[in-house]
Amino acid sequence: MHQSPNTFRELVDRHQARVFSIAFRILGESGVAEEVAQDVFLELHRTLARLESEEHVTAWLRKVACHRATDALRRRAARGDAAAEEYQDGMALRPIVRELMPVMNRVEQLLFTLPPAQRTVILLRYQEDLEPEDIAIELKMPLATVRSYLQRGVKMLRAKAERTLKEYSRG
Amino acid sequence: MVEPLDEFERELREQLLARSAPQGFTDRLMARVPRQQSPRTRWTEFGLPMWRWAVAALLVAAMVMGGFERDRQQRLAGQRAKQQVLLALRITGSTLREVQQKVNTGSEQQKLSQKGAGKTILEKDDQ
Repeated sequence: MHQSPNTFRELVDRHQARVFSIAFRILGESGVAEEVAQDVFLELHRTLARLESEEHVTAWLRKVACHRATDALRRRAARGDAAAEEYQDGMALRPIVRELMPVMNRVEQLLFTLPPAQRTVILLRYQEDLEPEDIAIELKMPLATVRSYLQRGVKMLRAKAERTLKEYSRG
Repeated sequence: MVEPLDEFERELREQLLARSAPQGFTDRLMARVPRQQSPRTRWTEFGLPMWRWAVAALLVAAMVMGGFERDRQQRLAGQRAKQQVLLALRITGSTLREVQQKVNTGSEQQKLSQKGAGKTILEKDDQ
């Protein structure tokens, strides 16, 4: 694609929400998500000449954002970061998660309690509106695994949502 | 086949709409983007500035010239050696010819003297 500062800026403006949302919803922290999103765009700047179309750019950004955010999450987990390990907690949200994620909406908070791979699949399905077949290609994952993650992920989210709603209504 | 979304999934989709990056994201990013480099000239298109190409060209030229000079010196030394060998052969040849002549002259004189001596003996016997 043609690369000039103006074109690149327009490209960033068009795709920043997509890239930041993927990073934020995988990582659960705005500051780190912004760092990851910026790194993704800087990499795009170096790669742009090899990308042929806007569709190609979109798919590239989606894929790289998922991978970079997952890598960042792994690094945080290796350092023993509590929030990164939160998905292992099971069904309920612990108070620490609520403290770490004041800017998250309820669905984002529930989403963050899923294992990262499952979370990424759910994100690509409901944020990016991709079909399971496209998710399988994008994440290089067997289609059956994608379908299973989707089915189990939605089921878990539904159960968690019902539980938090009951807790909320009990006061 | 694509299954239709149920109520909960529709809710998920609505709640998971892309959210904007924090204010000033693009400006902060653009400040980190490396400045556009000046278009590369023909000489720098392989990644080296022009002065490096000039130094490399001089070195190659010096090596080639050095090679030619060494070759010329070797050829001259060879020619000198050849001339010396030919001169030595000529000297040796003339010396050999002189020796040969002396040898030939000496043997003829010896034959003549031997003939002379024979005659004297025969003359003595006849007497």
